[in-house]
Amino acid sequence: MTNSLNDIRHAKSMIFIGSNATEAHPVSMQHILHAKEVNNAPLIVVDPRFTKLAAKATEYVRIRPGTDCAFMMGLINEIIANGWEDKEFIRTRVAGYEEMVEVAKHYTPEVVENITGIPAKQTRRVADILAKSRPTSLTWCMGGTQHHIGSSITRSFCILQLVLGNMGKSGGGTNIFRGHDNVQGATDMCVLADNLPGYYGLAEGSWKHWCRVWDVDYDSIASRFASKEWMESKGFSLARWYEGVLGEEKIESPSPIKAMIQWGCGSNSNSQYNRVVKALNMLDLLVVIDPFPTIVAAVTKTDNIYLLPSASQYETSGSVTSTSRQIQWRFKVVDPVYDSKDDYEIMSLLVSKLGFADEFYKNIKEVPEDITREINKGTLTIGYNGQTPERIKAHMENWHTFDIDDLQAKGGPCDGDYYGMPWPCWTTEHPGTPILYDISKPVAKGGLPFRNRFGDVTTYVMTGREEGQLAAKGVCNPGSEVQGGYSEFKEVVPGTNWKTDLSQETIKNAINRGMAPFGNARARCVVWNFPDQVPIHREPLHSPRPDLVEKYPTYEDKANHFRVETRYKSEQNPDLVKQYPYVLTTGRQVEHMGGGAETRSSKYLSELQPEMYVEINPRLANDLGIRKGDMVIVESPEGAKITVKAFITPRVDEKTIFLPFHFAGTLMGESYLKDYPEGHAPYVLGDPGNTVTNYGYDIITQIQATKDGLCKVTRA
Amino acid sequence: MARMRFLCDTERCIDCSGCVVACKEGNHVPVGINRRRVITMKQGEPGEKSLSIACMHCSDAPCIAVCPVDAIYQRDDGIVLVDKKTCIGCGYCFMACPFGAPQFPKGNVFGARGAMDKCTFCAGGPEENFGKEETQLYGQNRIAEGKVPLCASMCATKALLAGDGSVVADVYRDRVFKRGSGVNAWGWSKAYDKS
Repeated sequence: MTNSLNDIRHAKSMIFIGSNATEAHPVSMQHILHAKEVNNAPLIVVDPRFTKLAAKATEYVRIRPGTDCAFMMGLINEIIANGWEDKEFIRTRVAGYEEMVEVAKHYTPEVVENITGIPAKQTRRVADILAKSRPTSLTWCMGGTQHHIGSSITRSFCILQLVLGNMGKSGGGTNIFRGHDNVQGATDMCVLADNLPGYYGLAEGSWKHWCRVWDVDYDSIASRFASKEWMESKGFSLARWYEGVLGEEKIESPSPIKAMIQWGCGSNSNSQYNRVVKALNMLDLLVVIDPFPTIVAAVTKTDNIYLLPSASQYETSGSVTSTSRQIQWRFKVVDPVYDSKDDYEIMSLLVSKLGFADEFYKNIKEVPEDITREINKGTLTIGYNGQTPERIKAHMENWHTFDIDDLQAKGGPCDGDYYGMPWPCWTTEHPGTPILYDISKPVAKGGLPFRNRFGDVTTYVMTGREEGQLAAKGVCNPGSEVQGGYSEFKEVVPGTNWKTDLSQETIKNAINRGMAPFGNARARCVVWNFPDQVPIHREPLHSPRPDLVEKYPTYEDKANHFRVETRYKSEQNPDLVKQYPYVLTTGRQVEHMGGGAETRSSKYLSELQPEMYVEINPRLANDLGIRKGDMVIVESPEGAKITVKAFITPRVDEKTIFLPFHFAGTLMGESYLKDYPEGHAPYVLGDPGNTVTNYGYDIITQIQATKDGLCKVTRA
Repeated sequence: MARMRFLCDTERCIDCSGCVVACKEGNHVPVGINRRRVITMKQGEPGEKSLSIACMHCSDAPCIAVCPVDAIYQRDDGIVLVDKKTCIGCGYCFMACPFGAPQFPKGNVFGARGAMDKCTFCAGGPEENFGKEETQLYGQNRIAEGKVPLCASMCATKALLAGDGSVVADVYRDRVFKRGSGVNAWGWSKAYDKS
């Protein structure tokens, strides 16, 4: 998120689209309700369901799943039509604006109503509220990303905030809520198929940078890959790894996937779960490293599964990064219990057996502090270099000195620091950057311009127009040597740029001159390397509106998408809705987390949410002859089925059904209870919601489209 | 003398049941006994509100009035507690209580039930403070440590307030003054035709 959870306290209005913060991020609600009560900030909630967050809303907007982009472009269009856009912000810090406005023109409130189901009057009203109560804090979560156009949807959220001028301001920002205290950290370390830590990418320069950080020979690392070409290609994604095992889809890979290590991963959070189970049973080797055996232990029938009990967060220590980009330290309070080992020890044992412990631990003697120091050394792209273990621990020990409203320590040992030294934290004296893109403060004091990521000048393919990508004259942080836009810093140390200069002289040089190492540019509305350069609506892959499929069809099929052939056009059948008439969406419950292996093993949480269910609207239930407590079969277009209890509630409308995805352990009447290691089965089991989530993947990220599928529902 | 009170602010309660789990976990309450519960009214509809409810430690407690063996007593600070060693498990207190606070570990209201269990405001029981007996029978004694009950201290939105009744009332009154204008005013959308 660009701002912080605490900063939401300063919002004059808030909009949540695709987020159920009350259930997914309950502790954040204290800040949201503070803004609502103390600032009288309107709280707008956009969701297909009347969620617990909608219960706190001052304006609830029911939206058809997958149509968020149309709604956003509609708001943008309405704001511009009324002249409410922040003209100065756009003139000085935004690029590609004219091209975007042309595209937005199509999305009149009436067009938006036809696509989304949101009354035109309400679109106008929401635009009015946002325009008149700035700054607005905009939040999205999986409801915005888990669509096959998720990459367009999330960009439309950003464009709205640029048009309103809400970026770089306290109370504004695009504030995605990440999970627990280290999902942001895991993301930043880029344990991903298409990136190296710190978002460096997979090009040769990136590999060489990290080899220098790790102090290993580049050629020795390169020799581990089938070829240089494969080394620099994307791997299989988490969303579709199983296709690399099953061999049923066309894959581009030197070999199929034969072995897998699931290290702290709940497999049943993958869509099309039947395929996952099939693949798990086809692997030559499967290792599950987890404090709980997880459903994997029960659904696999082969002999080659290893369960390695790992320790929980209380039995180990290390640095973690929260949703507000703050670095914190987890302290160990107890030694690993029973036979469990912490992740460092498991890694050490594995690496030793594999024979490269010497290189791996060359500079790592004190665990985990030296690992944090290695991260400090190399993760320069996002400014992870200033948060040393010593500074992080000092923050933890002096919590009470940090102000709840602006997160800055007032006096004490951490005086002037922002809590957790939110990245980028450019030097060991830098206080951290609490609000991204805030040009009201000097860079050395936590201010930041927009990054110069995409060159200095661009010619737009859409219009042929040439536009400078740097910020306008006079627009920069206070104390900036260059009064206006400037490029990213290169060649301060010959042969390097700010990201690859390990001496960090480049970064220090920039900060001393009052400038950001990554440049001062404009935020772009046009992404020239995406198929949809400006976000547009496309009907969900499995759409309930054949008429709109014709008008807003999906993309062409993609032959090699993270190594797997991925269908778009050939998958979008406008007649599918005739057999699978209801929209299927999934989400979270506050009592359970992720795949549920941990929370369903807690007796009190299991007591609160013991059963898997499907939310069905009363009208739909009556039309289908379903009564309270009936068992119901939900079936996906791929032919997968689950049997779950009907929960009749007006939360969902009569065209949509909702499934929580936290359950596992049973399937269509069959129980896997006896297949868990003895004494380790969770207290409560249920059919996995993800068994029936449909085929569908984002065109850029390949995230699974679990929020807008189709299904049929019958009484069991 | 200060009288202890609970107040659950329905504008803040997000139905997370954190209070329920904190109480059960901290006091080792068995599965099936719910000293505290969150109830939700108008679920899934505009006007949905949630309320966390436990023993209200009533000023004129009906459970004390009906108990045939005087097992239930009230402290000077208003906290209502049961002496499990005296309780005969007749269930009469359950019938008298308008909130359903008394819970029984065995069976239902009629039958051999075992000693009544309910919210203690984290004040333990008649046994010696922090002693093994008090902890095993009733759970924690946070009041004797000067701490707020587990449920209220755990509440992230501070919907659940617990403590000196007049202080709780002041906190709530302060909130009501700050709220309730502009878009948050009750009836705003009707009054200004926001349809």
